[in-house]
Amino acid sequence: MLKVIPVYAQAGINGFESPAAEYRELALNLDELLIEHPTATFIGRAKGDSMTGVGIFDGDLLIVDRAALPGTLDVVVANLNGSFVCKLYNRERQQLLSPGTGQRAYQLHQGDVFEVEGIVVRSVRLHRFARQLSQCLR
Amino acid sequence: MFALIDANSFYASAEQVFDPAVRRRPLVVLTNNDGCICALSDEAKQLGIKKFGPYYQSEQILRRHNATIRSSNYALYDDLSNKMMRVIGRFGPRQHVYSIDECFLDLRRWQPTMSWERYANAIRDTVFTELRLPVSIGIGATPTLAKAASFAAKQLGSKCGISVLRDATATEAVLKQLEVQQVWGIGKRLAARLNAMHIHSAWALSQASARQLRQYFSVEVERTVRELNGVVCLDWDTLPLNKQQLFSTRAFGAPVTSLSALRQALAWHGERIALKLRQQNCGVKTLTAFAHANPFAKHDPFHRSTLHTFEEPTSDTRDIVGTLTQLAPKLFESGVLLHKCGAGAIDIIDSKVLQKDLFAHSTRTPALMACMDAINRKFGTNTLGMAAKGQHAPWHMKRQFLSPQYTTNWRHIPIINCE
Repeated sequence: MLKVIPVYAQAGINGFESPAAEYRELALNLDELLIEHPTATFIGRAKGDSMTGVGIFDGDLLIVDRAALPGTLDVVVANLNGSFVCKLYNRERQQLLSPGTGQRAYQLHQGDVFEVEGIVVRSVRLHRFARQLSQCLR
Repeated sequence: MFALIDANSFYASAEQVFDPAVRRRPLVVLTNNDGCICALSDEAKQLGIKKFGPYYQSEQILRRHNATIRSSNYALYDDLSNKMMRVIGRFGPRQHVYSIDECFLDLRRWQPTMSWERYANAIRDTVFTELRLPVSIGIGATPTLAKAASFAAKQLGSKCGISVLRDATATEAVLKQLEVQQVWGIGKRLAARLNAMHIHSAWALSQASARQLRQYFSVEVERTVRELNGVVCLDWDTLPLNKQQLFSTRAFGAPVTSLSALRQALAWHGERIALKLRQQNCGVKTLTAFAHANPFAKHDPFHRSTLHTFEEPTSDTRDIVGTLTQLAPKLFESGVLLHKCGAGAIDIIDSKVLQKDLFAHSTRTPALMACMDAINRKFGTNTLGMAAKGQHAPWHMKRQFLSPQYTTNWRHIPIINCE
């Protein structure tokens, strides 16, 4: 994302310089807040209701960071046997949890292909219709 | 030292980043129009499939092994490439992006505090962690040696994809294993002539007399020899950036048999050339256009081309598209199945050194083109353009197996299963 500091040319001869000009700063940029590691982050869209227990609902945007430091219990996006899933991952017990469904924990075993793709560091709820996502391939 | 970092089978690896279902499986990426294979995953290479072969020759074996076929998804590759270059750029003070999948780090005035091997490992691990792209790394005293090291890392069975030409002994060992044709800047023809002089390996080339080779060949060959001996001769800043010629050509998605379709296709190429000229601050003096039938088909060969010289060099889309539209009838013959067409600016003049023709009268103002380019940059490539290229383009690129633009289009972002 291009960051431009808007500084307007002032010749100093008209005498009506804005009194606030010296205080001009960049407007708030959501990327700054949502994306800590820009090169390591991708955005996905949640499909399904198994993660409502941690506040992720169908259609939410997931900000997935591949460079975030892992904790013992993380909301992750992982490749589970060839497809991306979002689960609460208990590293110690090697379990995938679906909080909010009453589903039993999924115990990872030897035969599974399992790779943590990244950690879901933020999720975004869209309370109103977003035109850009209206035809999301799903 | 210089490091060359190079993504392994970049297009194929990029296809696997956002689609876990196709990882660790045979996968091939096809060129424009799905004609040839331009990248293969390791698993596809193991099936004995060759890069740059026509797709139809391998279609059966690919199907038998249930391989994944993809069309070139440039939007995805470009975005992943930019991110990869940014990640690598963090590892050194000066970076030179050489192509979509490789870049150099100039490490002459700066050295990592760890060993070269650990440094290379750190680059490779970071790129993989952040982007899921595998890279190979070659490190050597000059760009040419870094390139040779990278070749060694990939081809000579180095397990980790890293090769460091730390000293004279390591350099000699690798150069002895490389054929002269595998040296950066030595093409097939040059290699044949060098072979005739009994220079077969990269090592033999490095031991030859640079001055003598300059007399036989060119100053470039002399530089290559010096670079193989550890003397830096290449400098990014002095490399010519602007291309001497600009072409836009493409095979049709389906054979073209009408003049109007050919005219539209040429107009489309014209727009692309005009834009590239403006990006380089150049104008075209001589423009060529051509059309031909499929040279591999059974019917008679058909190839036509034509030239146009402008009074004054131009980069105005209206001039170039207008000219190409007028040239179209010269290239057309009814009843011929046209397979490919294109246009090229073959005489390019830098706007800075442009001599104004006193008698030519140009009504063109660059402001309109600058405005059009700005609008297209802001709202997307095809927002404003010439109507001459038509609304529907059946002749357009065939990209039957295109994957989603996962990172550049909101409609294509990956779906993550929460069921």
